[in-house]
Amino acid sequence: MEFLSDRGSMGLMEKLGILTDAAKYDVACTSSGVERKGNGRDMGNCVKSGICHSFSGDGRCISLLKILMTNECIFDCKYCLNRRSNDLPRATFTPEEICTLTIEFYRRNYIEGLFLSSGILQNPNYTMELLYRTLAMLRGKYGFNGYIHVKAIPGADGELIRRTGFLADRMSVNLELPTADGLRKLAPNKHRKNILGPMRQIQNGITANQNELALYQNAPRFVSGGQSTQMIIGATAETDYQILSVTESLYRQFELKRVFYSAFVNVNQDASLPALSGGPPLLREHRLYQADWLLRFYGFQARELLDEKRPFFNVLLDPKEDWAVRHLENFPVEINRAPLELLLRVPGVGVKSAKRIVAARRSARLQFADLKKLGVVMKRAVYFITCDGRMMYPTKLEEDYIVRNLTGARDRVQFGNDGMTYRQMTLFDDGGFLGRPTAEDELRVVSGQL
Amino acid sequence: MIVYQCENSLEGVLTAIYQAYEEKCDHADTRISLEEEAFLFAEYRPVVTDAEKARKVTRTLLRRFGEEDYQQLCLCLTSSDARRGQAVYQTVVKGLALRCGKGHLFDQLADADVHLAFSLARNAGRELHHLMGFLRFQELEEGILYARFCPKNDLLPFLMPHFADRFPLENFLVLDEQRNLFGVHPAGKDWFLLRNEQLAAGEENFRTSARELRMEELFRYFCKTIAIGERRNPKLQQNMLPLRFREYMVEFALYKSSE
Ligand code: SF4
Repeated sequence: MEFLSDRGSMGLMEKLGILTDAAKYDVACTSSGVERKGNGRDMGNCVKSGICHSFSGDGRCISLLKILMTNECIFDCKYCLNRRSNDLPRATFTPEEICTLTIEFYRRNYIEGLFLSSGILQNPNYTMELLYRTLAMLRGKYGFNGYIHVKAIPGADGELIRRTGFLADRMSVNLELPTADGLRKLAPNKHRKNILGPMRQIQNGITANQNELALYQNAPRFVSGGQSTQMIIGATAETDYQILSVTESLYRQFELKRVFYSAFVNVNQDASLPALSGGPPLLREHRLYQADWLLRFYGFQARELLDEKRPFFNVLLDPKEDWAVRHLENFPVEINRAPLELLLRVPGVGVKSAKRIVAARRSARLQFADLKKLGVVMKRAVYFITCDGRMMYPTKLEEDYIVRNLTGARDRVQFGNDGMTYRQMTLFDDGGFLGRPTAEDELRVVSGQL
Repeated sequence: MIVYQCENSLEGVLTAIYQAYEEKCDHADTRISLEEEAFLFAEYRPVVTDAEKARKVTRTLLRRFGEEDYQQLCLCLTSSDARRGQAVYQTVVKGLALRCGKGHLFDQLADADVHLAFSLARNAGRELHHLMGFLRFQELEEGILYARFCPKNDLLPFLMPHFADRFPLENFLVLDEQRNLFGVHPAGKDWFLLRNEQLAAGEENFRTSARELRMEELFRYFCKTIAIGERRNPKLQQNMLPLRFREYMVEFALYKSSE
């Protein structure tokens, strides 16, 4: 592809290139969680489910204009391309430039809104103030009523963060690394408490706002799409169990809407960081997303999926399959009778299909032939269910047998031919296995139907 | 068997349903047909679309099944599947007979007709959701926004309210190329549909605004830059964004080298 180039010193095109490239490792691009009708005057509305406007060459959704305000930074986080010690072209958008790009992209239906993050210019307050001014201009002068996700800068003044929150649909503070220890090693200028502080403040702001809204319908809305965060996976030595436990407490104690995971990409070749010869740990990231759905929508707890003795996810099975084969005493589950909570634990039965089963069996006795219509993935569910007391065809309720069949199509090469059993196989799964989820797997994790 | 032959429109189907009830048909042996379907030994009854009858049926459906299920029935009828009228009719018959209640019209998914109506509506709903994201406007001279598309389902009437709500003060036009149908939204006013072969034929003369190409370039560049090279995955990209949408999307456009 060729692009028309700019004339002059640093044109908009060049800035956009630099500040997009610098923002691309931030994961969250969703525009979901807010339903807001247009007001008949300003440009924009929001759709609860979120809208993807395009997909980039890595298969990730493009929903928002995801850019940094500046890639200048006074800090020197080891994993970050924008760190102070890197010698690379720097650029800073003016608020007008950000507004123009957002409005002109939005009118053409390229995007759902803006995702604005930033390196730290001068100091956290100065940066946060600039972010605030940009959003105020976009909402005020430019009358933009679409989706805005903005970063809260750790260390910035609470009042600035609060004022910005009234202009944004979503705010996030990146946890960056799952543990305080990891943070100390790789982001020496950042402190865990500077990250959790604003996170707590946003949470309190949301709660206070909900009370306010209950009293006055027209009270201004504060971060109505909720708060999110992200962690880098594989730059430090944390186990999957540690990461998932952190996730769980973020959901419980900070009431986050989403936690995102970002497979570490070694952009700086820094000596203190793992080399990752096999590329970013995508399978690991994928498993974390799967487990994340299980925590949020399937009634699972972190310690059911992993524990100190098995601190890493299985490479061959998804976390739900893995749980099921280790808990065969719960199966088979009778489709025509089992409560929703139990249906949700069956591999191949997603949240939607479990609800459809419960609805459909009120007026009919369900047969195996019906289950496909309800969206059940039979090739995975078949080992774990009965209809009217019968299995679909004779199968053994036995760990090795089921695992062999579940993984048969996927991993015949690595598993099965040499007489190695599943139990022996899992001994190797210490996270060193470098696999890649298939496109079909990725779709499942996007839709959350596991 | 009785076959009600009705016009291919929401009102047409609703009128046919009204008539089937009015004439006390045995619903199990009655069909609603929107296309030239030939059934042996059938008695064909033509249906004259009647706005008042259609309104009455709509009221009943809304009262009994609620807004959301009613929308699903409408979405089902945007499909081009020849069985869409019949699927809607039978779903309604069963829902009324079972007194299923609001939001439960599609509970009986084990039933073939209900499942068909559900699937057609779901497919149309998916395409609608795709198009809400993938539709691309270009700015013409005088600032009018213009989009072309070619949906499988007849979705223009569903897309217009979304964009009218989103761009209240824009003048915009959306052309369904296959059905030669324009959606027109004059700034600050209600939108309407326009079947206009002449306008469609003159479409090639539409001139884009002076800054349009630059905005397209900026967005193409953004899309290219945002991808992480180490995670390249064209197959996933294609799964999420089927190729048939791309011919209308600027970020996949191939520019001639002369430009
Ligand atoms: S604060 Fe750290 S992570 Fe953020 S831009 Fe600066 S160097 Fe990068």
